[in-house]
Amino acid sequence: MDDLSLEKIEIPGPTLASLIQRASSSPGDVDGLIFGQIHRIVSTTLSDDSPAQSSPSIPSSSSSSDQIVATVTSFTSSGKTFSFYDPLGRVDSLRIDSLRVDSPDRLLGWFSARRKTASRPSMRELSVSSSLSSRFQLPIENSESPNSTASSSSSVFVLLTTPLNDQLIHTHEYRAYQFRAASRRLEPRSIGIVNIGPAFRGHYGSFNPKSRFPPLLCEMSSSAMMNEDRDEGSLSAKKEAAKDQKEVDALAEGFRVGDLKRLVGAEAASYTGAIEEMYERMLAKVESLASEVEKSSARVLELENHNRKIRYRVARIER
Amino acid sequence: MAFEAFPPLIAAQLHYLLNHSPDSIKIENVRSGNRFNPRILDRFTLVIPYCLDTIKWDVIYNSEYPAAPPDFIFGPDDEDFMPCSSSTVDSLLDKALSEWNNQDSTLLLVLIQGLRDQYVAYQRKRVGQVDDDRVKFEISTVITRKGIEMQMTSGADKPEEVKFAVPLVMDMSINKLLVGCPWKNEQKIYLQVVYPILRKYESAPSSPRLKLVSSSDLKALFSVEDVKLPPWMDGMCLAEYLPHLEETLERQILEAVSAIALRRSFVEALTLFLGRPLEADPTFCRKASFLAASGPFPFVVHFFFPTQFPKQQPALMLQSCQHLNQLSEPVKLNLLTDYPWSPRWEVGRMAERLCDFLTDEAVNFKKYCNEALLQH
Repeated sequence: MDDLSLEKIEIPGPTLASLIQRASSSPGDVDGLIFGQIHRIVSTTLSDDSPAQSSPSIPSSSSSSDQIVATVTSFTSSGKTFSFYDPLGRVDSLRIDSLRVDSPDRLLGWFSARRKTASRPSMRELSVSSSLSSRFQLPIENSESPNSTASSSSSVFVLLTTPLNDQLIHTHEYRAYQFRAASRRLEPRSIGIVNIGPAFRGHYGSFNPKSRFPPLLCEMSSSAMMNEDRDEGSLSAKKEAAKDQKEVDALAEGFRVGDLKRLVGAEAASYTGAIEEMYERMLAKVESLASEVEKSSARVLELENHNRKIRYRVARIER
Repeated sequence: MAFEAFPPLIAAQLHYLLNHSPDSIKIENVRSGNRFNPRILDRFTLVIPYCLDTIKWDVIYNSEYPAAPPDFIFGPDDEDFMPCSSSTVDSLLDKALSEWNNQDSTLLLVLIQGLRDQYVAYQRKRVGQVDDDRVKFEISTVITRKGIEMQMTSGADKPEEVKFAVPLVMDMSINKLLVGCPWKNEQKIYLQVVYPILRKYESAPSSPRLKLVSSSDLKALFSVEDVKLPPWMDGMCLAEYLPHLEETLERQILEAVSAIALRRSFVEALTLFLGRPLEADPTFCRKASFLAASGPFPFVVHFFFPTQFPKQQPALMLQSCQHLNQLSEPVKLNLLTDYPWSPRWEVGRMAERLCDFLTDEAVNFKKYCNEALLQH
């Protein structure tokens, strides 16, 4: 199980759009890491008119139609090339850790975006993929038995290019590859763009949403029955819950979910004022945050332009 | 080629590559990957001679980070060519990449040379894996020849073929045989051998296709098209074929070099009749122009000497000094090759007979010029 072949590589439309946007808005070539999940998808052929097919359903026959599919969920980019590898394509794990920040998903591979070049992997791209797959393993999540995770020492590579000649209609090209350790090659894989619809039922069935937002334990403390149940839970689970509650409280600025009860009934009239006040405080916070982001973005842009000027001066480029 | 649009340090590397490479590399398809300054070029395609054919490699710099080393994209048929990820990483190539210094303009050449060497080894390995007894045998006999290049061509619409480019007469430096040799690169002659790969149901191997190829500059001295290749017998192999061919070639090259002296002495003999030449090719003596006159009518005679001189007579062209045609160009006569000539004459006699012919021809030429003038 150490070298599994991916059936295809799926990417949600918005993620692909944002990847293309990142590539086309950057001044030069860029690269970055891509994150996501790998699933074993059991392809079920649901149809109205062939009930005979579903009757002899033995597990072995259904698992034969398993597909291993990688789903890209997010990416990070440093806005330049050589962000986590050296000119020979050797990957630097420390720089990967600093780039991946705190993406909830696992590292799948990387992408490279370069303008006006052939849409084939380059010499360095192959080396980077090879080095990446030897350091990191692709985690494969099994929907049937979530605890047994297999892994595969390969990596996903997404290549974004623009055509050599300016074209009016076809402006961007994207391809996906899987690096296979056995053949030491980047093998092309088809890209599936995830959308809503019956065709993606299998995908949604096996997808594990991951979020940094802690699970909301909605008003469990009032119920005595639930309290008893929770006492049976382990200490660590309680600690976990307390930690989550703290995070939620920090987001709500001390406003407790339980207080929502007061919105109905006699108290409501006096209480709406307090809620409005809370929203106003939140809005003000968001506004000040937005202006701060705007200012810092402007500053980043200024610094980037300054850096570019310096780089150009070093390279003796006159503009 | 203008490189002004490249960042200066990249332009310097390109200049060095194109001027110092032993193979005549060409550059095409220059383009820019820069969003804000699309006039700053930073990517291009190199057309590199290989095995008497060319390979195209894309070189990608990043104009936003001009100090970073370039990346390469190889041809679509060469996806198995992985010079950097293989265990046999060339240490020189490795060093040039990992210790890249954009101030050093020689490094791009080092990279291309290193990659090309790896490419030679890669193609040799591919050819070695071909399941064909004859090709396997031929490789074993010629593998020790220095500078031999091999190529495997295959494709959906092409028959599978193995190509060899065998350098010939390597011991003989043609450049050194010439006085005042104008060539920068050593001139080489190759024998191209193409073996069609047998399909399983075919029994008898057909004889390979043979062709002599030389570097283009060599044409001034010696044309390989004039060489008659010895026939390829059934069951022959390259190791048997090459020595005989090389012997013939060596003799013909030496003859071609001595032919220069013959042409020179002929031009010198002409000066007795026509005076000093206006212009003459000093190295190969393939061209000479003299000013002549027929009474008050001055004209220029251009001599074009074939490499087979004196077996073949020179071609003459007469050009008037007084008459212009409608395009304001001097009136010229078509090439004259039909006049009395014998390769067995002494040089002095050749010159004398030719000048006799010129004296007669000048009268006709003058008439022709005057008529041309009257026509418009």
